[in-house]
Amino acid sequence: MASPTEEQSPDDTLTYMELAIQQAKLALDCLEVPVGCVILEGGKVVAAGRNRTNETRNATRHAEMEAIDVLLEKWQQKDGLSQLEVAEKFSKCSLYVTCEPCIMCAAALSIVGVQEVYYGCTNDKFGGCGSILSLHSSSSIPSHIGDGVGSEVARPKGFKCTGGLMASEAVSLFRSFYEQGNPNAPKPHRPLLAPPDNALNNLNVKEE
Amino acid sequence: MNTSQILHVPDKPPIPPHQQPTVNVLASVIEPKLANTIIRRLNQISPLEILRHVKRIQKKHVEEGKIKLLVILCVAGDGENESNNIPEGVQQLINSYQLSPFITKVCQYAATSKEDWEEQCKLWPTSFHPPTYNIDGIGGFIEEDSHSVFDFMQLTLKMARSGDGPIVNAAVIVDPSVNQIIASACDQTCSLYSSKAECCIRNCTKQPEVYGSHPDSSVVADHVNVSSDGSRDEPKQRHIGASCLNPWQWAAQQKLQTTSSSWHPLRHASIVAIESSATRDRRLFLSLGQDGDKSNGVYSIQSSSTSTTPTKRQKTDSTNAENGDKLDAHTEGLPSVSARPYLCTGYDIYLVWEPCAMCAMALVHQRIRRIFYAFLNPHAGALGSVHRLQGEKSLNHHYAVFRVVLPKEL
Repeated sequence: MASPTEEQSPDDTLTYMELAIQQAKLALDCLEVPVGCVILEGGKVVAAGRNRTNETRNATRHAEMEAIDVLLEKWQQKDGLSQLEVAEKFSKCSLYVTCEPCIMCAAALSIVGVQEVYYGCTNDKFGGCGSILSLHSSSSIPSHIGDGVGSEVARPKGFKCTGGLMASEAVSLFRSFYEQGNPNAPKPHRPLLAPPDNALNNLNVKEE
Repeated sequence: MNTSQILHVPDKPPIPPHQQPTVNVLASVIEPKLANTIIRRLNQISPLEILRHVKRIQKKHVEEGKIKLLVILCVAGDGENESNNIPEGVQQLINSYQLSPFITKVCQYAATSKEDWEEQCKLWPTSFHPPTYNIDGIGGFIEEDSHSVFDFMQLTLKMARSGDGPIVNAAVIVDPSVNQIIASACDQTCSLYSSKAECCIRNCTKQPEVYGSHPDSSVVADHVNVSSDGSRDEPKQRHIGASCLNPWQWAAQQKLQTTSSSWHPLRHASIVAIESSATRDRRLFLSLGQDGDKSNGVYSIQSSSTSTTPTKRQKTDSTNAENGDKLDAHTEGLPSVSARPYLCTGYDIYLVWEPCAMCAMALVHQRIRRIFYAFLNPHAGALGSVHRLQGEKSLNHHYAVFRVVLPKEL
């Protein structure tokens, strides 16, 4: 875990995490597993995202993937930036997300090459930033990977990762999600409203 | 076709049979006529709970047709001073029968293959139960099923090299119960491949309808008959640009013009195929006229409520069954609502290359049942090469992984 970069005071990081929590609340309002995130570039919020897995019937539409798509759309379609320029911009971005990115999202964040990630609670079942795999840490990649493969294979990219920001708020949103249930359902024998597996995606979370 | 093979890629990295981990046990030679008494007693005072696969007793043939019985008394510690660790009951047994205990090694884990088992028995006999799994194919494929697997893999390979540009990764999601293609896609990461990408997009949007209305395998068969394709020998010289092989490469691409529209570093073939299957699912099973508004959460409640009927509810589906009846009118001619699978539950995916961590985890999330890939991904593969997600116990879904070896590869 790295400490916040110098230009960001702890107050700032909490402010940004608060924005991520708001995104998670939006997800909750839409009966999605409540995970939200924002992406910052140069101290400015440039994208936000929240879970939409139920709505899309696509279990890969996690908050992080949504926010990355917002930026790609903006930089590519509107600003007409090249791949190199987009990569350069991503390398100056920080992501604030309410729950540790899962293995898929951690890999995606490494692929687009963000600079750093701040997360709330840990994700003991799926976490890709230390819980199950450590995809944020390029040193965790076996030494033969990326070494001596020359220009043909680009090296995996790591990113700085800091957990435990407002973790209790993040966890309490998950609790609300399971508590809200569906009052109309006749005999609830499992969590309601959301497909149970999506719900489970983030069930096993805890405060750091 | 004779040399085609489907190899299961196991949850754990294979260990060479002669390098299996062992534990020390305390054993002794016993008088054959005392065997029953001693074994009965040992089972009471020193059951081998953690070594259930190990036989308690072994028969050794010595010279002149004589036999010698050896019995395991208890698990021994690693230390030299073994007598300290002997349970009291065992020590009494040793004393009363004047046994001469010695330390020997047995294999720590039950054998998972016949080869492992044969090796284990050289140390000390164990029992071997061939694994039984609940996912078809792990224990082997019947001929008919392997033919479908080879056909779908051929189709996937054909897609991967169908464009003019580099060979990319391709993904085909199949419902194996009816041999129906649910979705298919090629990598869409790079504008270099945009002509191919468009072709794949067309395929994706077209196929669910084509196959959806003719869910019989004969339709598929027309499309997979590629073995006589003369181009099979040619791709050797072609550049390989499969996204999963080198996910970080996109950032280094300078040659591309900003004018070309379609590139996206995360649109690997699996991700696009998943998206396509999700789109198909929404189109087939949601009455769009009823609540076409996708912008709010109401959509998701209704989609899950209409996906269930009180009588035949998918076990994995959510449980609000309130207005399940309404949908029937809208789904005339479409697959029945009760048949709506949860995401890709029960479906297989065919990939040319072993997926990267992002794609492998995406396939966990989307509940794919089996993954078939043709080639290893040595630098970024997450299903055996660099990581082994199928063996991560904490994940809430586990698929079976197979490597398909075809006689003439790319």
